[in-house]
Amino acid sequence: MKSSQIIAVCMVSVVLFASGAEAFLGGRTDSVSKDHQAFKAVQRSTTALNGYTVEEVVYEATSVREFVSPAGIVFAIAWNGYVHPELTQLLGSYWGEYSTLQQRALRKSGSRRQKLATDNIVVEKWGHMRNLHGRAYVPSLVPEGLSTDEIK
Amino acid sequence: MKSNSLRTLLLLLLVLAGCSGGGSGSTGATAGTGATGISPATKTLVSITVTPVNPVIAVGTTVQFSALGTYSDNTTQDLTTTVTWGSTNTSVATVSNVAGSNGMATPAAAGSTDIVATLPVTEPAPGNISGSTTLTVTGGISKVNVLPLTVNGSLCSSGSYLNKPCVSVTVCTPGTSNCQVVSDILLDTGSYGLRIFRQALNVPLTQATVAGGALAECVQFGDGTSLWGPVQTAGVILGSEPIVKVPLQVIDSTFATRPSGCLNALTTPATPGAGFNGMLGVGLFRHDCGGLCASSVNNGFYSACNGSICSGTTVSLASQVQNPVALLPQDNNGVVLQLPGVPTGGVPSVDGTLVLGIGTQANNTPVAVTTFPTNAVGDFTTTFNGTSFSNSFIDSGSNGLFFTAPPILLPLCPAPNTGFYCPAVTTSLSATNTGAPVGSPSNQVSFQIGNLSALLSSGNNVFNEVGGSGIGGFDWGLPFFFGRNVFVGFEGRSSTLGTGPYWAY
Repeated sequence: MKSSQIIAVCMVSVVLFASGAEAFLGGRTDSVSKDHQAFKAVQRSTTALNGYTVEEVVYEATSVREFVSPAGIVFAIAWNGYVHPELTQLLGSYWGEYSTLQQRALRKSGSRRQKLATDNIVVEKWGHMRNLHGRAYVPSLVPEGLSTDEIK
Repeated sequence: MKSNSLRTLLLLLLVLAGCSGGGSGSTGATAGTGATGISPATKTLVSITVTPVNPVIAVGTTVQFSALGTYSDNTTQDLTTTVTWGSTNTSVATVSNVAGSNGMATPAAAGSTDIVATLPVTEPAPGNISGSTTLTVTGGISKVNVLPLTVNGSLCSSGSYLNKPCVSVTVCTPGTSNCQVVSDILLDTGSYGLRIFRQALNVPLTQATVAGGALAECVQFGDGTSLWGPVQTAGVILGSEPIVKVPLQVIDSTFATRPSGCLNALTTPATPGAGFNGMLGVGLFRHDCGGLCASSVNNGFYSACNGSICSGTTVSLASQVQNPVALLPQDNNGVVLQLPGVPTGGVPSVDGTLVLGIGTQANNTPVAVTTFPTNAVGDFTTTFNGTSFSNSFIDSGSNGLFFTAPPILLPLCPAPNTGFYCPAVTTSLSATNTGAPVGSPSNQVSFQIGNLSALLSSGNNVFNEVGGSGIGGFDWGLPFFFGRNVFVGFEGRSSTLGTGPYWAY
């Protein structure tokens, strides 16, 4: 991982909670605008796995992991923490599709999980207070042979 | 000379016994009319002693009394099963004459009563010999810490969703006796703190403030929903415990301006809104956010609001929304959820209890339970079908057991019950729970998953065999609680089971 890429990932992640970020899921890791403001609140690390890399960014209340294909495309994200991250930026061009699904979804009382899926995007949330989890992925971008169980 | 002195001794005993009257705890035998009929050769009952002497017990417990007969030849004999037992004040306690439980006293209310053991005798003269002792029942101490709990049933709103555990709490304007009882409060071991919809409140509470303005918070849940509203202080009464001042969340989606994390905040108690008037979070932690929110500003939880403008703020632990049980002067180290078993096919509702405290009263003393410590966020490991899930938890606010299973084992239901399992036949399974972080103890839990669509056709609301797909860890929802006493040990608080956070069952 080049240091420029790491910095880019860092910046991408930082703007998740800020406005003005560009697309993320489905986008390239180096395609996002810079935001220096919240850098001090963030730690990041990179792990290389079988054919993809995971960039983890730790915020005040939530850790977000970005799954990047060898081609440099973010094909999935996963998170855990006190709050769910804002998906507006994270889902990029898939936000509209997800948002429509979410508005149509009937509330299931007594449930502590939610799965919303189309052919293009899968978004799952679950967990309890102080330990919320979730993940989002684009099935068509998941590298061949990779089980979605690895997205966590 | 010898026989003379024996005779004298017997006489003396009889006289003494006759004089001693019926005082509590005495050997108050009545021996008839005197010594004239006594033959040294005849062994007669002289007195009955009731033990334990003058016991003090609490409502909700029992005490086994024994009757010991003393005979004219100075021998003794256990008469517990041959005497007739009585209580002079049956509104305080009753005592059993049923074979197998003779002498077992069951308190009904605070007060005192004499427990009397009586045996008819023919020698030296026809009559009764009895002994007694005073039983004191303490003033309902063991009932102070009990809240009735109904799954569906009387404490839930009509039309509640399935497997919904409800309690009622009393909420008061702080420092006054201006109080109301709010029912249809979801009892939730998956969250921490009390939250009540504005629409369900009719007593004024005190708005909490921080340096930046009025304190409000956004709380998110696993299903992607959220609750937004101001933090206010109330006097809260749980069961018959002393009133405590508690910061709670008034759920109000119209308050000031919702932050981005709460844009989808629930707006009403009624379905398709929340489905409850509020929730009482009695899970493992004492504060809803804890140390994180005491030190960080932009965590998405707490806001300070000036007019309609809200921005992130730190909040001290004492000012955070918190579990009212942990603030009680006693019974504050945890809770016990007690629910009966539910038969296959379900029932319309079941009644149970929420008992406050662990090992602080006779009614919350653990018997034969195993303690499972958790990690820092309240999770332990569940191993199911060969896979270990380290983010597993016990959540009364989940209405089923939610976990990942292959479709060949547990196929999912068709709409509208998608997300739940619908196997062709009810399936018996098991999983193993392991405490964290040390990896012990381990314990196997058996459970059943039925066909939800078929179950719902019964018209029942409460089912033991409800399950659905999980995404991450194993979520032991309400069916886990049926037929168990589940102990929730609060963080940093100790009991005979250890120091929290822990689960025990």
